[in-house]
Amino acid sequence: MSEAAQGASEERLAGQALSPARALYAGFRQPVVWILLLIALFTTISGKPLDGFLMLTVATLLMWDATRARAAQYAGPAARAGATAPGPHRSRPRASRRQVAAGLAWVAAGLAYAGVVGSFRRYSWPATVSVVALGCLAVAAGWQGPLRRRAALTGRALRRAWVWGLVLVAGGLWELSSLVQQPHLTTDSYAHPTISALSDPLLASHPGRSVALGAWLLIGYFLAGR
Amino acid sequence: MSSHDATIVGYLLVLCAGVTLQVAAVRRPDLFPTLGGVLTHVMRSRTGRVGIFVAWAWIGLHFFAK
Repeated sequence: MSEAAQGASEERLAGQALSPARALYAGFRQPVVWILLLIALFTTISGKPLDGFLMLTVATLLMWDATRARAAQYAGPAARAGATAPGPHRSRPRASRRQVAAGLAWVAAGLAYAGVVGSFRRYSWPATVSVVALGCLAVAAGWQGPLRRRAALTGRALRRAWVWGLVLVAGGLWELSSLVQQPHLTTDSYAHPTISALSDPLLASHPGRSVALGAWLLIGYFLAGR
Repeated sequence: MSSHDATIVGYLLVLCAGVTLQVAAVRRPDLFPTLGGVLTHVMRSRTGRVGIFVAWAWIGLHFFAK
């Protein structure tokens, strides 16, 4: 929707009464909410109730946020201010010694995290608490909005973004086909290994787990910079 | 070729497709977006941003948490 059309729509809505059903519908319209609800369902029935609970929590929070934004549209511009607006963009300051020191501190913290958490057995409580805590922190930080403004995709590059979707969907379907060909959802198959099953030998040792955690942290760092 | 090998070849093909697309996007940014560009675009909205971070957190949970 163009900005002018959106503005006209918001003016039309301002001052009207919003029923709870319409507010809830605004939350359910978010595709991410549906994806998270599906992940919550499938992870729970495949024996990972904690994953399911966390996905359900985030889906509920996103629904609440979308509902609140919709209600703010009905209430008018005064109430709308700050309803869903992400945090202010912070411009990128020039690199300084302080930044280099901060960067080195982050690297040291990341290495320490990967080393220590990698020493814990997989699926143990210490590993669970460490990963859940960092994941929740990242999601909470993401909720605040991007750290810096970046150029948006435009033109032909934007129209061809679907190609990446195709690659991701192909990978997801291939993984899913392996999963459904297992004897049971929680029993690996040698003939049709999932990525989890293939990664088991790597994650069986402390160094392997630390390397995997380091890669996971690097991806998180990359995402935080988006 | 066994089913095991065919499954692994499938994963490798998807990985190669992703790498090829990324290389093509870096060489010709006007033709294809890079993965970073697409993620940046998706993460402009709060739901997109939170969704991507949740996907990242889920990977950690899936491989390490109970």
